[in-house]
Amino acid sequence: MAAITFDGVTKIYAGKPAVDSLSLHIDDGEFMVLVGPSGCGKTTALRMLAGLEEITSGALSIGDQVVNNVLPKDRDVAMVFQNYALYPHMSVAQNMGFALKIRGESKAMIAEKVRAAAEILRLSDYLDRRPRALSGGQRQRVAMGRAIVRSPQAFLMDEPLSNLDAKLRVEMRLEIARIQRLLGVATLYVTHDQVEAMTMGDRVAVMRDGHLQQVATPQELYDRPANDFVAGFIGSPPMNLLTTRVSHGADVTLDILGQTISVPTRYAAAFSLPASGEVTFGIRPEDIVIATEGLRARVERCEALGAETLLHLSVNGPGASQHLVAKTGPRTSIVAGDDLSVTFALEHAHFFDVASGATLRAAS
Amino acid sequence: MKARRLTLSQRRQLAGVVFALPALALVIGLIAIPIGQAVYYSFTQWDGITTTWIGTSTWTQAFHNSDLWTALKNNAMLLLWVPIALGLPLAIAVLLHQRVAGWKIFRSIYFLPTAISWVVLGLVAERFFAYQGTLNSILHAVGLSGVTTNMLGSESTALAALGITFVFTMIGTNTMLFLTGLATLDPSLEEAARIDGAGRWRIFRHITLPHLSRFIQLAFVMTVIALFSALFSLIFVMTGGGPGYATTTMEFLIYQTGFSQGQFGTAALYGIILFLITGAVGIIQLRLIGSDK
Ligand SMILES: Nc1ncnc2c1ncn2[C@@H]1O[C@H](COP(=O)(O)OP(=O)(O)O)[C@@H](O)[C@H]1O
Ligand SMILES: [Mg+2]
Repeated sequence: MAAITFDGVTKIYAGKPAVDSLSLHIDDGEFMVLVGPSGCGKTTALRMLAGLEEITSGALSIGDQVVNNVLPKDRDVAMVFQNYALYPHMSVAQNMGFALKIRGESKAMIAEKVRAAAEILRLSDYLDRRPRALSGGQRQRVAMGRAIVRSPQAFLMDEPLSNLDAKLRVEMRLEIARIQRLLGVATLYVTHDQVEAMTMGDRVAVMRDGHLQQVATPQELYDRPANDFVAGFIGSPPMNLLTTRVSHGADVTLDILGQTISVPTRYAAAFSLPASGEVTFGIRPEDIVIATEGLRARVERCEALGAETLLHLSVNGPGASQHLVAKTGPRTSIVAGDDLSVTFALEHAHFFDVASGATLRAAS
Repeated sequence: MKARRLTLSQRRQLAGVVFALPALALVIGLIAIPIGQAVYYSFTQWDGITTTWIGTSTWTQAFHNSDLWTALKNNAMLLLWVPIALGLPLAIAVLLHQRVAGWKIFRSIYFLPTAISWVVLGLVAERFFAYQGTLNSILHAVGLSGVTTNMLGSESTALAALGITFVFTMIGTNTMLFLTGLATLDPSLEEAARIDGAGRWRIFRHITLPHLSRFIQLAFVMTVIALFSALFSLIFVMTGGGPGYATTTMEFLIYQTGFSQGQFGTAALYGIILFLITGAVGIIQLRLIGSDK
């Protein structure tokens, strides 16, 4: 077991960086989730760590060894592929034992390790089956089993749950997190699903267009996003981002399409807001409260999810409108077309620079 | 009165029968009837004009004929070339699949012989192996003037020359077949094996080869059948079955017995023997392929 360090790692495909000077440290035993939209370079980063992709520049270390030029077979990492990549002509037991066999371990030893892993993964009854005779969830577990029997330096997983149905995905999410904690092996887990990122990771690294945006614990990411991209990516539904015009008086005043919100100084002080001009005001759906007075908005759509209701609102001004989503309780009488007023739990408000998107949080 | 409604599966079966009929007619007309005729002729003496029923005497005599045994032995000896006719294309395909520099050009080069008539290939091979042919010129050019070969002229080596030519003619087809097989191999399997610690050889042995097993079986059947039933043109232009009977295979023996010696009854019998041998190879292989399911 070992820590993993990306130090300014870059991968260039045909002149375009797929991963741009990525610096990321994964502690020994840590579960790190790498999350971001499709095409942002997550798979590329993972494949460089596995040794399947050459590194254009930068240094990648496992433990205290720089592995840039180490062959995959000598890196001692285990990978779970998105399509599982199970060996079709081998039984479940042979699939799981393949790496050990290559390593030259004795038959008895292999059988014992495979048996133990199968127990953890509840695969004991399927050891003689071929992969094609297994369900999707079982195949997924075999792919996990192939990784865990090896007791590798690190686990690498590339969207391992994306081929499962929703219910199984929730189940396996817990299962993988449980096993990783049980074994305590450093893990880099790639996903585009922010729910997986939030529920599984000790820490989460958010990527966009090859650039690392923020690395933090799930709660930190949620409460203190580094920029408007992270704010808009994490959370479901994501944070509302409204373009407002700021002015300072007794309180800070925000102008949204002609309507104003006052932000008490005790909340605004946490941010270094410009004296005037535009700022992006961020507020999460659950921090919007329906009130008798406040920002007037029209209900465009109501989504009743059972336990809660999502209201899609539009704030209309002369020749323009802005959209926001509010979360309210179940069984509401509000319907599309209603006009209502909302206020904000401003202690949970966020402010971002309009141009750079960076959070305007004051240095503490 | 309304016709009785057929169930869905009955309809499906009916459609199957209807669609199979034209093919069935062709099989009966072009294969079953001629085979039946061959069996009939093997019990007769036929000089091209009149047939005389002579019962099983052709059958009893044939097995005492040393030519038959020589031809069978030659066929058996040629079988020894089959592993090479499979192994060489397999090696080429694996190399081409690694996208070695210029692999597209090499692919065309290896496939080229497939598009050329075996008669032409036979003529080229004859020029290559002949006493004053290319092989000896090459040997001279590299300073081995002491070594002069006459492979086609010697009873001990003519069959080997034929075997080499046969391997050469099969390279294109088998290479293409294996390349097709390799193209259907999921590359992530190889990556998974690399991460599992396997080097090139282990990946080939444990991932590539098992994946190709069906393609290898198919190539084996096709190669063996070609060996038994497609060598005629090569033999005809390279050796004429000689020297002596050194390169006379079953197939060539049938031709000689029937058309040179006019013994059509015996030729028909040899044909049946050849048919049974190739049939057995095919059936055994189909069983092997089927049992993998
Ligand atoms: N083998 C490749 N050749 C060229 N471009 C590639 C290759 N692999 C990935 N890319 C590009 O690199 C970028 C990142 O891809 P990838 O790492 O697969 O993203 P993700 O896994 O986050 O969806 C994409 O723009 C993709 O088109
Ligand atoms: Mg990907």
